[in-house]
Amino acid sequence: MRNLELVMGWLPSLIFASRITISLSVISVVIGMLAGVFIALGRISANGALRKACGIYIFIFRGTPLLMQLFFVWYALPLAIPWLAMQDRFLAACIAFSINSAAYQAEIIRAAIQSIDPGQMEAARSLGLTYGQAMRLVIIPQSIKRLIPPVGNEFIMVLKDTSLVSTIALVDLMKHTSQIQSSAATALVYLPSACLYLIFTAVFTFLFNYLEKRHSVYE
Amino acid sequence: MALIEIENISKSFGALNVLKDISLSVEQGEVVCIIGPSGAGKSTFLRSLNHLETISDGRIYIDGKLLDDRKDGVNRSPLTKKEESDILLEMEIVFQRFNLFPHMTTLENVMLAPVHVRKQPKEAARAAAVDLIEKVGLSDKLDVFPSKLSGGQQQRVAIARALAMNPKIMLFDEPTSALDPELVGEVLAVIKKLASEGMTMLVVTHEIGFARDVADKVVFMYDGIILEEGAPAELFAKPKHERTKAFLQAVL
Repeated sequence: MRNLELVMGWLPSLIFASRITISLSVISVVIGMLAGVFIALGRISANGALRKACGIYIFIFRGTPLLMQLFFVWYALPLAIPWLAMQDRFLAACIAFSINSAAYQAEIIRAAIQSIDPGQMEAARSLGLTYGQAMRLVIIPQSIKRLIPPVGNEFIMVLKDTSLVSTIALVDLMKHTSQIQSSAATALVYLPSACLYLIFTAVFTFLFNYLEKRHSVYE
Repeated sequence: MALIEIENISKSFGALNVLKDISLSVEQGEVVCIIGPSGAGKSTFLRSLNHLETISDGRIYIDGKLLDDRKDGVNRSPLTKKEESDILLEMEIVFQRFNLFPHMTTLENVMLAPVHVRKQPKEAARAAAVDLIEKVGLSDKLDVFPSKLSGGQQQRVAIARALAMNPKIMLFDEPTSALDPELVGEVLAVIKKLASEGMTMLVVTHEIGFARDVADKVVFMYDGIILEEGAPAELFAKPKHERTKAFLQAVL
């Protein structure tokens, strides 16, 4: 009974700390997706230099630890270039997570675009559409349905990875959990905290499944 | 000058020569059927005309305008991108596998290019699209997605989509090869109707009966060259080459 009271007492502040977890995930995945579209288009463009550049971006940000990228943006960058010092930990986290997610999503988007039958591009180009129009009106709309499951996956990965921001003293759900754990000297706080993570992932999984269903109307 | 003048075009994929020094001229209103065994280069030849394939040598004139001029893979054509795409818009192609846009209805498929390429107002494009879809006999399928259409219906939509751009020339790349036998007739009927209206057409086909009925000229391709060409009555009745004889015996 006493345990239940404790948990109920922590819950409001845990939920409040979750606003950082959720908003950081949503912002990073959305910015990562927008940037990812351009990087993916660069990856498959006819321009060799652009293709290389986008390939290098993906290689670097997919191949180094996210924690290292976060530390780099928050701690290291201000040492190298002082005017890049950020006052806001949340902003720093958004930048690091967006840069990282863009690399992953670029590959997801590239794979989805390349999975579309090449006959679609041929038909669009033969009708006189420019490459850009063909991408925008024909190829990308068809790839969206194929994007939804892997982007949903990516979102859930990011949601859990946001716990890394506790290392730059940004108070998200994870950081607040460990604060309670040390001040109350109890392991119990992990129970409501883990449940909150599970609820968030469940909600977003449901949302992505719903989106996927809605996008299959024409099949 | 003929509507299409093809002069000595060649194409190779690496060491493989797919087209070897092919020349052909097609008059306004003429229907040319291209036949031949698979691997002869028929599709590559057709697709070279509208730049789905790039030739390495030769010249192509469309309606008196020089579209391609290449020598050893080097483009010598003085055309700007805009001039080139304007000439390419004189030709539309219909594919073996239809290639309709699956996320668009029949009407949207047909309207897409007129609205986005020709910049027609939506209402005008819509009215024109409705007429074309009626012409191919699918007025009851305006708001249906391709996945709900039979192969024959999809191919008729694809024809309407191509016609919506008002091309002077229609290219057909084995338009009935992916169809169930009972659906071939409805597509051929639409192509015949176009022929009777005077559309200039190049048709790669295995339908010898259709070629006999509709073609003004039949071209027999073998191993990257035009081995023989002539009026259908002549070519089918007395082919000059052994290869042609053997092919016709095998398919008839």
